[in-house]
Amino acid sequence: MPILAVEGATKRFGPNEVLKNVTLSLDAREIRAICGENGAGKSTLVKVFTGVHQVDDGIVLVDGKPTDIPSPQRAQELGIALVAQELSLAPALSVLDNIWLGNREVPLFHRRKALRERAKAALEKVGLGDLALETPVSQLSIGRRQLVELARMLTRDARVFILDEPTATLSDVEIERIFSALRALKAEGKSIIYITHRLGEVFEICDTVSVLRNGELVGTRRTAEIDRPHLMQMMLGRSMGEMYPRWETKPGGAMLEVKNLRVPPVVQNFNLTAERGMVICLAGQVGSGAIEVQRALAGLVADATGDITVLGQPMRLRSVPRSQAANVQFISEDRAGEGVFLRLRVGQNLVATRLSEHSRFGVLDHPRLRAAATRLAGAAGVDRGRLRSPADELSGGNQQKLAFGRAISDGEPEVLLMNEPTRGVDVGARAEIYRLIRQFCDRGYCLVMASSDIEEVLGMSDVIVSMYRGRQIASYRRGEADVQRVLADITHPVAAA
Amino acid sequence: MSDISLRSRFRLGGTRARRLVLAVRIIAGSAIALFALTTPGFTSPISINALLNAISFIGCVAVGMTFITLTGNIMSLCLGATVSASALVFLASLSAGVLPAFLIAIAFGVIITAAQGALVGFFRANPILVSIAGLSLLIGGAALATGGQRIYPGGEGLQMFKGRVAGIPVEALYFFATVVIGQLILSWTRIGRVMVMVGSNPRAAYAAGVGPASAITVAYVLAGACSAVSGVLLAARYGSGDMELGAGYDYTAIAAVLVGGTAIQGGSGSVIRTLAGVTVIAIIEVVLLLRGFSQQLQYFITGLIVLAVIMLHTIGERR
Repeated sequence: MPILAVEGATKRFGPNEVLKNVTLSLDAREIRAICGENGAGKSTLVKVFTGVHQVDDGIVLVDGKPTDIPSPQRAQELGIALVAQELSLAPALSVLDNIWLGNREVPLFHRRKALRERAKAALEKVGLGDLALETPVSQLSIGRRQLVELARMLTRDARVFILDEPTATLSDVEIERIFSALRALKAEGKSIIYITHRLGEVFEICDTVSVLRNGELVGTRRTAEIDRPHLMQMMLGRSMGEMYPRWETKPGGAMLEVKNLRVPPVVQNFNLTAERGMVICLAGQVGSGAIEVQRALAGLVADATGDITVLGQPMRLRSVPRSQAANVQFISEDRAGEGVFLRLRVGQNLVATRLSEHSRFGVLDHPRLRAAATRLAGAAGVDRGRLRSPADELSGGNQQKLAFGRAISDGEPEVLLMNEPTRGVDVGARAEIYRLIRQFCDRGYCLVMASSDIEEVLGMSDVIVSMYRGRQIASYRRGEADVQRVLADITHPVAAA
Repeated sequence: MSDISLRSRFRLGGTRARRLVLAVRIIAGSAIALFALTTPGFTSPISINALLNAISFIGCVAVGMTFITLTGNIMSLCLGATVSASALVFLASLSAGVLPAFLIAIAFGVIITAAQGALVGFFRANPILVSIAGLSLLIGGAALATGGQRIYPGGEGLQMFKGRVAGIPVEALYFFATVVIGQLILSWTRIGRVMVMVGSNPRAAYAAGVGPASAITVAYVLAGACSAVSGVLLAARYGSGDMELGAGYDYTAIAAVLVGGTAIQGGSGSVIRTLAGVTVIAIIEVVLLLRGFSQQLQYFITGLIVLAVIMLHTIGERR
């Protein structure tokens, strides 16, 4: 009998269906991977299991019985435990205190010794038998903290462990520790739901894999009966041609040259020549250094060093205005946090970096600002009728176009540094953004993008630079690379040894 | 889930809460107006005069506070003390002439808050704590300088800061000038726009290459100048000064800023809104006074209003 299941689960936010009739079930002693692109519905499904969201249609079954999970507390009582990306441990407290923190079973007056013994036993099961119980959690690496979190769930008699991208920021050794802990849990009869982007891990640790796409369950397979290309095909669900524009690669001469770029502590020695009219993609996961390289070139990293030239002119690092003066513009992956001024109007956002151009003695020239905003909106495909709306009323895709519109210029072609260009952007707007990028490259722009989305990397790039833990693994011209090679590079590169 | 339906949903969702907040504002505003107009004697010249005076002293401080709130630094607890201290400076330097004394007082206010602004902007110090430190320093410094005595200066020419022109109290004219200049700085200058950007999202402002530090410092400079104007007006009115003169002004000022609808998180609001806020609060105070309620009850009611406004904002921001 399955320990946890959903039947016909549908979840709507307004008219937007984020889970559509999803049916899947998890057995005891099963490690189940859940894969899918950003926005496929993975995290919504997890939130249904952990009581954060409730399904609009369909039922959740625990031990075969229809069960409401109205709150995270109830999920815990049912034995469903989440190990989130943002860990919920208190860094200043000891391992022991963290394990028992918030556990309602512990009475106010309790025998410390019994708690110590149970904590010790739980830690041993996850491979931390050597850890002193008094160690403050702040002294532990992220990987060990995750193991402590697993031990904490064990003391609460969790039966289903849900791990949301646990390895995204871990080293190989730590990943191996997590894997052996998971195997040990499985041997104990526990079940595990494992959310990941790394396809290699699906085959290494998981028994079965369920693929979600646009809120629908594409299918569930045994990992022994499926291969990587097949899994990719399930995740993408379409040929890549429909999404991406077609173009001819036209080398236009070096525009941005990067030599010996150091971005402590991640990137040691990064070199790149980016040509006019090209899309150069830095492919890598979190911690690969791709984002760090971009931020350094944008002038946002205080201790970055290196020799940078733009069109033959040297550009100094560590200052955003200097990068901008060299026609290097940055588009952040964190739109709400760093990209868009959500409370400002769309039009005000578009001209945010050009106030000096359109003012005299510090006084704004409003007619010129309005004209500039209208022009940029047209160029970036932002609805001109909405220039006066607050930016937070736009959808993710439109906000991304807004960020793009702010970065482009009226005159000279620029170097655009764009991170995760389609994160949180729905499928329709994605294709528009890809067209936009290509269109500006045809005008002589050079676009460097950091992306962890392999499909996007292969579909958009003239040059792919694969990165892993701060190092450049390989460089491919368009057409030279395929999914397997890039994935291998950015997850477990052969040359990494 | 086409982009269109998603967009319209968000638009509706976003504005529905905002519309609700607007409706509550309009209803509350009308209720207050009705309440005021039915209060006997509210429209008499004397109470209108009292109203204008009440608005003017607090209003200048509230305009200054608006800049601090807009840049995302919540409020300063030091502006009331800045009012008192610049009043003392004004009175003490009257021997140099009224206009020089005025300029010295403004410069003093600016220096006090510019230092705090620089700490907040360049060193990312906590704005509330910095303002509390500033408050202590000012009170302590003033006690040392004056020996704790009230100042009664001699001096002529204070007429330019009191009395009336065309029936309107001069104080009100200075206040309205402050409002106009403040709003012009906000909507017509580069630095004003940058202040709003910084308040809306400091990280985005940094990534966009506009420095948050200098914008924050300028916001504090303006707050100091506005507070000093209020200090000079008070000093001229009473002809004497001590550190009690502006006590509590910071609280009423932030109340006015919030009632006006400037977002406490920063990034949204205006000086005009603060003018509306300060007017509402002053009307309530005058009405309570006319109806014979005590000073204590006035504080109580102001507290309730601020709470209500903060709750309203929270609802308006919710999705």
